[in-house]
Amino acid sequence: MSDYAELTVTTNFSFLEGASHPAEMARQAAFYGHRAIAITDRNTLGGVVRAWVESKGSGMRCIIGCRLDFRNRPSVVCLPTDKAAYHRLSRLLTIGKRRAPKGECWLDAADLSAHAEGQVLIVLPPDDADPIFEKQLRKDGQAFAGNCYLAGQHRYRGDDAERLAWLAAIAERAGTPLVATNDVLYHVPERRVLQDVLACVRLKCTIEQAGRRLEAHAERHLKPGVEMARLFRLYPDALARTIEIAERCRFNMDDLKYEYPDEEGLEGRTVAEELVFRVEQGVRDRYPEGVPDMVRKQVDHELALVAELKYEPYFLTVHDIVRFARTREPPILCQGRGSAANSALCYCLTITEINPAEGNTLFERFLSRDRNEPPDIDVDFEHERREEVIQHIYDHYTRERAGLAATVICYRMRAALRDVGKVMGLSADAVAALNGTIWGWSQDGLPEARVRELGLDPGDKRLALTLMLAQELTGFPRHLSQHVGGFVITRGPLGDLVPISNAAMKDRTVIEWDKDDLDALRILKIDVLALGMLTCVRKAFDLIEQHHGGRHTMASIPQGVKGVYDMICAADTIGVFQIESRAQMSMLPRLKPRKYYDLVIEVAIVRPGPIQGDMVHPYLRRRDDKEKVTYPSEALRQVLEKTLGVPLFQEQAMRIAMVAAGFTAGEADELRRAMATFKQTGTIGNFRDRMIEGMVARKYDRDFAERCFKQIEGFGNYGFPESHAASFALLVYVSSWLKWRHPEVFACALLNSQPMGFYAPAQIVRDARDHQVEVREIDVNDSDWDCTLEAGGAVKPLRLGFRLIKGMAEDEAQKVIAARAHGAFNTPEELARRTGLNARSLECLAKADAFRSMAGMDRRAALWAIKGIETNRLPLFAALDGPIAQEVSVALPPMKLGEHVVADYAATSLSLKRHPVAFLRDSLTARGILKTEALGQTRDGRRVMVAGLVLVRQRPGTANGTIFLTIEDETGVANIIIWKDRFEKYRRIVMGGSLVAVQGRLQREGIVLHLVAEHLIDLSAELGDLDWDRKLDVPYARADEVLRPGEDQRDLKIRSRDFH
Amino acid sequence: MLAAVDPAAALVGLAPGMSVADARARVPELRLVDADPAGDAKALADFADWCSRFSPWTSVDGPDGIWLDVTGCVPLVESEQALAQDLVARAARLNFAARAAVADTPGAAWAVARYDDLPASSIRVLAPGEARKALAPLPVAGLRLSPEITQDLRRLGLKRIGDLYGMARAPLTPRFGEAVARRLDQALGLVEEPISPRQPIMPRLVRRILAEPISTADAIEHGLVQLMALLCRQLEEEGLGARHLELACFRIDARVERIGVGTSRPSHQPDHLARLLTEKIGEIAPGFGIEVMQLRVLAVEPMAPRQLGLDAKADGGAVAPLVDRLANRLGARNVLRLIPENSHLPERAARAVSVLDDRHRDKRPQDWPVARPRPIRLLAHPDPIEVMAPVPDDPPLMFRWRRIPHRVRRAEGPERIALEWWREPEAGTDGIRDYYRVEDEAGRRFWLYRRGLYRPETAPAWFLHGFFA
Repeated sequence: MSDYAELTVTTNFSFLEGASHPAEMARQAAFYGHRAIAITDRNTLGGVVRAWVESKGSGMRCIIGCRLDFRNRPSVVCLPTDKAAYHRLSRLLTIGKRRAPKGECWLDAADLSAHAEGQVLIVLPPDDADPIFEKQLRKDGQAFAGNCYLAGQHRYRGDDAERLAWLAAIAERAGTPLVATNDVLYHVPERRVLQDVLACVRLKCTIEQAGRRLEAHAERHLKPGVEMARLFRLYPDALARTIEIAERCRFNMDDLKYEYPDEEGLEGRTVAEELVFRVEQGVRDRYPEGVPDMVRKQVDHELALVAELKYEPYFLTVHDIVRFARTREPPILCQGRGSAANSALCYCLTITEINPAEGNTLFERFLSRDRNEPPDIDVDFEHERREEVIQHIYDHYTRERAGLAATVICYRMRAALRDVGKVMGLSADAVAALNGTIWGWSQDGLPEARVRELGLDPGDKRLALTLMLAQELTGFPRHLSQHVGGFVITRGPLGDLVPISNAAMKDRTVIEWDKDDLDALRILKIDVLALGMLTCVRKAFDLIEQHHGGRHTMASIPQGVKGVYDMICAADTIGVFQIESRAQMSMLPRLKPRKYYDLVIEVAIVRPGPIQGDMVHPYLRRRDDKEKVTYPSEALRQVLEKTLGVPLFQEQAMRIAMVAAGFTAGEADELRRAMATFKQTGTIGNFRDRMIEGMVARKYDRDFAERCFKQIEGFGNYGFPESHAASFALLVYVSSWLKWRHPEVFACALLNSQPMGFYAPAQIVRDARDHQVEVREIDVNDSDWDCTLEAGGAVKPLRLGFRLIKGMAEDEAQKVIAARAHGAFNTPEELARRTGLNARSLECLAKADAFRSMAGMDRRAALWAIKGIETNRLPLFAALDGPIAQEVSVALPPMKLGEHVVADYAATSLSLKRHPVAFLRDSLTARGILKTEALGQTRDGRRVMVAGLVLVRQRPGTANGTIFLTIEDETGVANIIIWKDRFEKYRRIVMGGSLVAVQGRLQREGIVLHLVAEHLIDLSAELGDLDWDRKLDVPYARADEVLRPGEDQRDLKIRSRDFH
Repeated sequence: MLAAVDPAAALVGLAPGMSVADARARVPELRLVDADPAGDAKALADFADWCSRFSPWTSVDGPDGIWLDVTGCVPLVESEQALAQDLVARAARLNFAARAAVADTPGAAWAVARYDDLPASSIRVLAPGEARKALAPLPVAGLRLSPEITQDLRRLGLKRIGDLYGMARAPLTPRFGEAVARRLDQALGLVEEPISPRQPIMPRLVRRILAEPISTADAIEHGLVQLMALLCRQLEEEGLGARHLELACFRIDARVERIGVGTSRPSHQPDHLARLLTEKIGEIAPGFGIEVMQLRVLAVEPMAPRQLGLDAKADGGAVAPLVDRLANRLGARNVLRLIPENSHLPERAARAVSVLDDRHRDKRPQDWPVARPRPIRLLAHPDPIEVMAPVPDDPPLMFRWRRIPHRVRRAEGPERIALEWWREPEAGTDGIRDYYRVEDEAGRRFWLYRRGLYRPETAPAWFLHGFFA
């Protein structure tokens, strides 16, 4: 066996160039028995961690390096020999990236010279003999004497003997010894096909057009040492030098010592002392009447653990950030979550509000020395104000020491198919057909039957090749984006640790590693996230103080109020955090939450994990005492006791792997990581057998084992750990309490925090009115920008604000409010004159029918008046208070109520005047269509017909093609289930109808009603009768997946990313 | 986004402006065709030209309309009704679903054609003075107003054109400018509105009526030269060169004899072009005599006015006439040239096309692969040979071609060329060929290749693919 190390390896982190994952490269090189492999992507260190992780334990070293491309000199491969050199390389890349726009790196020869100390440089030669290159090489030979080499490659281009001879000669003359490389682009020759496709995507051409711009052959793969020795048999020294260089490059990722920032203002205390100091202060604040023993013990236990693992600075930093938010004026509401957040420590540091004294079992999972996990604290902030916190972090720690983690955006099946399809010359039509009709098949690819359904031939070689390549491309990194809020903060310059680049967003800087990389390197990150509900809660607290008196905090909300739980059990939860979706709402009456921990379960149970693992029904049966609570084994009782023997949380799945399948802590940690990234690497398959066989060997039921593993796979998609559910459950309770105690305050705050949540303003307003809140129309003499509460009885009337008007700008609305301080407006002309609003804003107000306080003036009259104002003549008449000029009065056709409703929807997406369906009621009744409220009195299984506006259409990935449709009429909403075959039959109506009638059988489950659709009728055309030449602008809920597929997916992705 | 939908798509609720994703979600079997606004505009312009058979005054209106001023044209046909019907019927045969309206004013015709709910390929003729009544129930959009004004009018409840009849004009102007009043007056015929006709295109055609019929080749050639001089002057003034010419000879017995020629590059040299045609004069059967000669350009291309080079060779101009003469004499398909194709595979790297074939004019000399040497002669079918070579892939030491052994004196290789995986693969090739440039003892140079990688279990297949010298 010939000793060899491959030193020039381009992975798929050189986007659209390398055709293998870093881990595949490392695995293959180890398989060939290479001494080492150097990962050298173009101007990035993005892929090195993955290769390094893979190479651990393989006996082969992974050399960290980079291929540097310059603006004014030939490229070089740069391999740091030690830690100092690594820092220099990282700094060099940071300089190049910070001076270039996102995704680019601008480097010059001078930058290389300034950072060359301690680096091995391998200069990459051009294809053909070139005297200019030789001159440059001689310069390099002198400048970097002893550290500079010339790469020799056997290119299989016919004249390799001649070319190598030329390279050897100039290397000799320049004093830059020749070193053998294969300039690798893929780990096995079979990947050449994908590499060609990537090149075509990069060149934006089809495979036929690419021609000679592609590589001529498939030789740029990793080759065994023997083969390299044969190719370089005339230059054995060049081969030996690979080992020599590998030996010189002693830098190892393990040596990267991550140092947490020193906190300032310690007044001479060490970090450990400071943490104890702050915690003790917190204990006194939290428990002024004395701390319960249990809490004392917990605090001491946690402090000891933190001290042992040396995580004090991390907790101090989180505390500082939270303290910053709390001391803003007005304060920014925030809340921590995550395993480390559910601790007595965090409660005392006011990072969380879950009181350890209230005796629940969340706190056992804090940190553990065997679990080998970094502490995990995410902090949610009000979504409208998170940017303040982010900029504070940049200011306080400086951009040199703080940066956002990256998110590696990978090809998903759809995008892969689109790109490969284009390259393979498939018609845009065929690609769209393949992509368009499929919701969520990204993991399994496209079954043959589906292809046939689309009228395509699965036997067609082109098509088969396209599908195969698209599958292969899926999971390839496509570009780096910024993590939603994960900050890495260091003591020394962050750019020395990892290259920093500019983000697409102004004022953001991003590092090159994502959270898994950081995890692997044990670099701590703090997630600074945005949460709309916190904005809403803070606004609600403000409103309560203003209108009802008393200042609430999250902690001051009375716990365990029966009325609140009654409301939750009745699924009366529109607008409530997390449990407002239809799936959640239909679970509530079955789960019947009665205490805080029930809410924790509620939040976690309606998730793909438990659903895919088929854990929901067993849990419900056991809860209702319909099934005996049993445990698969005594050992698992501990793990599963609090969820009645059914695993529901991500943590439990991990514990099962350890307790029941004999995984070590490290293996369980690997499993957790594989879960998070399995789509990209596909490594979870290995765990499957190990886990299931491990459990079977320990006498567990195979069926149970398989379900546990299924669930783990589900978690991989949208995992939900208990530690996050716990913090969310608190917000569920707080928002429920607000809705129950002050429905008008809650609705008002919710409207003022839009866009957020599941529902559109129309549904929030409707729900408020159902709860006896008087809702008043937008009016130029009464409304503010935000919705407001007006003086009234126990439940204050809610006045809608200008913010609901489409197209209205806030600064324009503020002019109205400011001018109104000097007295009410009497005519539109007067308003125009006193406010100086532009014509567009005036029209927006008229369209929204906001002039009713002027003697009942309707939108049509107001628009006529506004249209008659010649804004440019206004200054001349500024002094006049009367009408500008007398003009012929005009009789405009009067507006019918139906027209008004249509216009209301067009201007504000809601109408307080009347529900559109109410206008059609007589004709609906004549057709035997019931009001939705009548469903409550309908017997289970009866066939009925209802009609309503379509609010939400959803097709959950877990529901096998079933569509959930929610429709609304003037009396309420109806939940429709459309099985797949019915959907196929009525697809056009479901996807395109705005008013539909549904005939079906009623299905009752407690108080939950579903109508299982049999027939659908599109009545959208009848809405036209309200106004013969305008269509009703139906306000779909924000969660509608047809109108806002992108948005919703993004939300889901963000959510899923935060909970690992 | 959907730019337009056919009746079937409209029936299932699809409409222009809808996103493709949305439309597909509703109708997965939807067939999409890329919009081609430029092509549509051209087709419409052509159609407008074609309509000049009904009236000399035609013009295009927007992306989908055509104006015809038929004032005074009616005596030619029976009635306006008949004219419109004929027009729509002929349009239908051309696959246009046209609607036509005839009215006193362009505005009224426009509104009725678009907003009167006419079925496809139908017409409506308004009697003189009927416009006012006919327009009243139509939506205000029929007044050719901007979408903003149309929408504002609707918001004010002024939804139908008739709603505007009773309105005082004074309050309208400050609100909508004078557009509303003007368009209304134009539609009702209170204000004149001219329609601008399409510019006629000057035909590139010269013709000569002969004093007395001719029938000799000399006479035809003489006439041709004169016509050619005339035509070429015209082309030169326009900065154009002919690519395709036709000479038509009208015989006294009402038959027409035609000959045509093409050129490899645009030309307006009368001598050259005349010579090309002269060579074909023999094909003309003069019969009892030719009374009219007509020379017409069927295809032109712009020609930058060229300064004559000092070095005539650099001009390349000398070859073109020769090529043209050869091609016109031997047939365009028999005079070929090689063009570079973008492929690593030697047999696909070049392709022979007709010298007159225009489709490859964008190929440049630098499109030829120059990185690696290629044989001057490439065999269309590689010849199997027997080879002695060190394994796995060192150059051959000896090979036998057509039973004659050649000892290799010098060699270079392998140059590995992978087959194009996206086409059907050849069996047993590993998808590659290894090429070697070899020189035998007589100094002859060959291009050999081995098919596939060397495998100890099978004898490798070798081929001769070309000669360097």
